[in-house]
Amino acid sequence: MADGSRILRYLDERFFVRDLKAKTKDGVLKELADYLSKDREVRDPRLLLEMLKKRESLGSTAIGSGVAIPHGRSLAIANIKVLFARHKKGIDFEAPDEEPVRLFFLIVAPPQDTNNEYLPLLGQIAELVKEPAIRDRLIEAQTYADLAQVLEGQGS
Amino acid sequence: MNGARILDRLQRLSHLQDLEMMIHEAEDAKAKKAEEEMGFHMRGLEKLRAARDKWRAQVDPRDLRLFDRIVKRHLRAIVPVEERICLGCYVTLPTSVSPPAGDQDRLLTCENCGRILYWLE
Repeated sequence: MADGSRILRYLDERFFVRDLKAKTKDGVLKELADYLSKDREVRDPRLLLEMLKKRESLGSTAIGSGVAIPHGRSLAIANIKVLFARHKKGIDFEAPDEEPVRLFFLIVAPPQDTNNEYLPLLGQIAELVKEPAIRDRLIEAQTYADLAQVLEGQGS
Repeated sequence: MNGARILDRLQRLSHLQDLEMMIHEAEDAKAKKAEEEMGFHMRGLEKLRAARDKWRAQVDPRDLRLFDRIVKRHLRAIVPVEERICLGCYVTLPTSVSPPAGDQDRLLTCENCGRILYWLE
């Protein structure tokens, strides 16, 4: 089983969004950027949102099985941040399998990322969510402690 | 030209750099392969290049010239400042330098490496 404990270094309780309200892909990106912008390390929320939208034009960040991982580098942020969010009904995110997306991991890194943490972290999340049991538990997690347990690979 | 205007100019340039970085990574065979193995499909490179070219028209021509000149030497023409340190060359900025504000017209650049400083306070 993939170990997601490293993800917790970049995620905290403020960035566990249980129920996104947006009804469109662009709306979800804006809502995700708004939540992340509560962190003072986000220097420019508008710049962050523009980067996320442009990244989608390169190719959807939905990877199938109801999961999307919007990601990118931007001057808008000072340090790597991860946010996890859910959407109850699911959103059309132009996924390769055309399934609506219910689980979102947002990962944003500064351009300098001197320790090269960003791509391995992205890979770790992509690997983790391949497991159906993990996706089920991510949907069911009620508290941040539940989420942390899933990411740490405990209670499985 | 007031402080808000210069911050707007800096934001336009910053978005251009974000786009350039994204294109650079999508063109990098190793990085592209890594992302595709994770399940991301990057078929929109031409679309992204077109968006970048369109965006360049939104940037002040003087700023664009400066940006293009710096990019020839450094991949990242704009770098953040943290605790008065330029995160391009890691040299501490002199105390006489402060974040862009007021009626400042020129973008701030690092005296040591020449990069444009992304410094908001």
